[in-house]
Amino acid sequence: MKSVLSRKARLFLTSLAVILGTSFLAGATIFTDTLNKTFDTLFAEVFEEVDGFVRSTDVIETDFGGEERARVPISYVERIKAVPGVADAQGFIQTFARIVGKDGEPLGSDGNGPPTFGGTFNTGEIALWAVSEGRAPTNGTEVILDEASAEDGKYTIGDTVKITAAAGSREFTMVGIANYGDVSSPGGATFALFDDVTAMEFLTQPGLVDAILVAGDGTVSNTTLADAIQAQFGPQDRVETLTGDEITKETQDQIGAALDFLGTFLKIFSYIALGVAAFVIYNVFSISAAQRERENALMRAVGASKKQIRRIVLIEALVIGVVGSALGILAGIGISRGLSAMLKAFGVDLPSKGLTVTSSAITATLQIGVIVTLVSAYFPARAAGKVPPLAAMRSTALETIGSMRTRLIVGFTPLLIGIGLVLAVVGGLGAAWIGLAVLLVFSGVLILGPVTSRPLAMAIGAPIARVRGVTGEMARQNAARNPKRTARTAAPVLIGVALVTAVTALAASLRAEVRDIVGEQFRGDYVVSVTSQGFGGLSPLLVDDINEVEGVANATAIGYTPVLVDGNSALTTVVDPATTEGLFELTMLEGELSSLDATGILVEKDKAERESWSVGSDVPLKLSDGTEIAAMVQGIYDSNDFVANTVVSRQLFEGTGVTRFDQQIYIEIEEGTDSATVEAALDAAIAEYGNGKVQSRDEFIDEQANQVNQLLGLIYGLLALSVIIAAVGIVITLLLSVYERRRELGLLRAVGMTRSQVRTSVRWESVITSLIGAVAGVILGLGLGFVIILSLADEGLSNYAFPVGGIVSILILSFIVGVLASVYPAYRATRVDVLDAITTT
Amino acid sequence: MTVAAAAVHASKIYGKGDSEVRALDDVTVEFHDGEFTAIMGPSGSGKSTLMHCIAGLDELTAGSVLIAGTDLSTLSDKELTVLRRDQVGFIFQSFNLVPTLNAYENITLPLALGGKKPNGEWVDKVVATVGLGDRLKHRPSELSGGQQQRVAVARALANEPHIIFADEPTGNLDSKTGHQILDFMRKAVDELGQTIVMVTHDPVAASIADRIIFLADGKVVDEMREPTPEKVLDRMKRFGE
Repeated sequence: MKSVLSRKARLFLTSLAVILGTSFLAGATIFTDTLNKTFDTLFAEVFEEVDGFVRSTDVIETDFGGEERARVPISYVERIKAVPGVADAQGFIQTFARIVGKDGEPLGSDGNGPPTFGGTFNTGEIALWAVSEGRAPTNGTEVILDEASAEDGKYTIGDTVKITAAAGSREFTMVGIANYGDVSSPGGATFALFDDVTAMEFLTQPGLVDAILVAGDGTVSNTTLADAIQAQFGPQDRVETLTGDEITKETQDQIGAALDFLGTFLKIFSYIALGVAAFVIYNVFSISAAQRERENALMRAVGASKKQIRRIVLIEALVIGVVGSALGILAGIGISRGLSAMLKAFGVDLPSKGLTVTSSAITATLQIGVIVTLVSAYFPARAAGKVPPLAAMRSTALETIGSMRTRLIVGFTPLLIGIGLVLAVVGGLGAAWIGLAVLLVFSGVLILGPVTSRPLAMAIGAPIARVRGVTGEMARQNAARNPKRTARTAAPVLIGVALVTAVTALAASLRAEVRDIVGEQFRGDYVVSVTSQGFGGLSPLLVDDINEVEGVANATAIGYTPVLVDGNSALTTVVDPATTEGLFELTMLEGELSSLDATGILVEKDKAERESWSVGSDVPLKLSDGTEIAAMVQGIYDSNDFVANTVVSRQLFEGTGVTRFDQQIYIEIEEGTDSATVEAALDAAIAEYGNGKVQSRDEFIDEQANQVNQLLGLIYGLLALSVIIAAVGIVITLLLSVYERRRELGLLRAVGMTRSQVRTSVRWESVITSLIGAVAGVILGLGLGFVIILSLADEGLSNYAFPVGGIVSILILSFIVGVLASVYPAYRATRVDVLDAITTT
Repeated sequence: MTVAAAAVHASKIYGKGDSEVRALDDVTVEFHDGEFTAIMGPSGSGKSTLMHCIAGLDELTAGSVLIAGTDLSTLSDKELTVLRRDQVGFIFQSFNLVPTLNAYENITLPLALGGKKPNGEWVDKVVATVGLGDRLKHRPSELSGGQQQRVAVARALANEPHIIFADEPTGNLDSKTGHQILDFMRKAVDELGQTIVMVTHDPVAASIADRIIFLADGKVVDEMREPTPEKVLDRMKRFGE
């Protein structure tokens, strides 16, 4: 009866590893599927009333599937309205604008959060938005806000709202609150919406809109309608007409591409979790096989073949795989909620409505879960089959350790080849070999685990034995008594810790690198910045105001704008050559930054080499509004991580239709000026625009360096599940060990070990096991971090920072994980029945 | 002679109603200081239960057990554990030793658990008595069954306990090795002044004791002093009638 009970417990514990391993995978899939569905539905609803969409064909693609498209004249609206079948046509604008809250703080996140929009409030046949309160804006003094923004900014109808955009900031009267589809604000973005004339004048340029929305009167199909509209325009007009379905699909695909990126990112971490779980499953099956040795031997003795024994174990694995994965899918629903909350905490607030569990998510999770379980159980199953019938006579579970020498050879071979490869890469071999090198080193270490775990356990346990006396000594011996088991239990911890350490080392190195570069490149005293790179930013007018501030000696603005350089889309750094001196440094190899003019371009060394450009080469440029400029290379500069690989002057954009923003303004103050006074004056200048913040040189450098921390936090969060699985692995192993040692524990209790001493002993055994994984993991992780940085040397990463604080925290955390993992097994150990253990039958 | 341990109106009942089993039925018995007592009886007579209850490994349903004047029923689990550690020595039939500790560590285990430094002289004497000198650094798996039991005897003696309980200590040994162990136990009483209570069904083993208590159906039915194997065998035979 007892063996059935313990078998149940074992089944449950193994299933737990499968559940945890598959739940992240299921969670990530459910999360991205739900997001996709939410956005698809959202855009389908939003464009429901739109039958045609007219826009410019001039487009410059930016990073991550974004694009910057030229605008179209509002005058086209009349031409479109004249087309038979058109019921209405309206200009449409959706561009950068930021609402300033009542407290003076701009709404929306400053970093990589959802965008902040300003645009047209379309009405009538083509209302994308619905008024939920108040009314639509009708003139140049009125604005309507989305529901979430109105709430965040604490605005009610009739309030004066400050809004900042490319043309500076302006105050409006809020006349209404709007809903998008049936959500209060799509994707957590903020919206300030105006009538079309105001939107053009404030957000773009008078007479220009982003696109024209068309509603049909229902007499012709949308395709026919789009063709008819397009027929009104010639090639010189540079416009295209999309049907409502096409623009819906395109928008869905764009978001889909961004979500795919997120999905892949999450999947990487879910596969890591699954890999860690596979180790735990392998471990549990191995221990079960050892504990059931007598049972299996008895079956062999009465005539079961090796194959039959193996099949029994694999069938058990199959059942566990199916049941565990099914429960993993259920747990995945919870995980998907957790992911949503975690991303929100890191500034990525994505709307998810309902729950989308697709059948493909279910089948994929089941398949992967079952395969991983079966593969993990295969070797233990084979070992179970190999049990000699004679083992039925042995009384204790015994895990044989094969030839140590063979293991040493099999382990050291990949380890040494891997290390050799790393050295070869240091010596100049292609960085592509790094992946293989890392794989070899990890395999070598894992194979060597059983050989090294005993000495490691003895070493790590030595101080514990000294401090805790005999209970500590027994913990140490228990951690060392079954080296294979200890190695398999520590392996998941090792993998988790190695990844955390590598990421920590990488982040520390990046911070050091950023600190160096920013410090070198930026010489000023203050910086005004926004961190929303790539979308919106500081009004280009702000730098002029700052130059007027008393005490400011010089201020120069830096921006990033997409430009087609010789036909290729490129984010280009935009500077003001007249004011950069002493504030913004570029290492010029040829030419001078200060002599860059409106017809010139500076090119980074490597790019110049690739394109075979030299000073004097002609490079045609095309701006996002379609303006073409015949530019010439006026200088070559050395590679620089903080500057795009082309630099142009801001004069280049003067008189064009490009809405451009600055990202940073570098400021030098006059000597002897009181810093508090200047800071106050700068704050006042910025407050006019409601966007951007002033930082001293040190603050700015700190902030730039710490930008990497947000991503680091997210990665830590995603690796947390792997660490939890590793901890569960320790719990399972300890529980099985406690079960196996119940007679020994009974004896100890009989001769005078108190319950608290039993607990102490199990706790320290757990801590030692955890620390074995942590110590090995830290060493591997530091190496891994070093290797990654090495492979990024081409990208300009040259610092290797040793994250002392990080390592200490990781070790402390592993200690805590060990303590927590021991709580339940230690409790079980204290409940061992003394009489049961000592009564021999 | 003072009383080392005693059971007073001790009863132990398993189950309830019709399936009720009285393993001990109102047993009152005393064990004296410096005396070697054997408990005998047919299987199911309650002899092991009696020993477990007196040794503080099991609880009585009614009545009380005293060790060195302390009523065990008044003790918490921790106090009971500490009492077993400091005042009681144990020798079991098998699986007496912790496999991860060597012979010396096993011998001094109760002391180490109590955070006490072993009394070197005493431990040396004990080790010498059981004759283990050259085996102290060996793990249990490297010792023969007889050597393992000797280590167990040494452990039972090492903390200078008030009383030692032995449960079929020779049950798993051949008769020669068994005799050695019994000799060591006898010596512990004669030379070291220990008190031993031993449960056995072996008349030869029992005859080494000063006094034998016979149990049947949970009751003390007889007592014998200065036993010989023949006398014991005769008495035991009468149980079969």
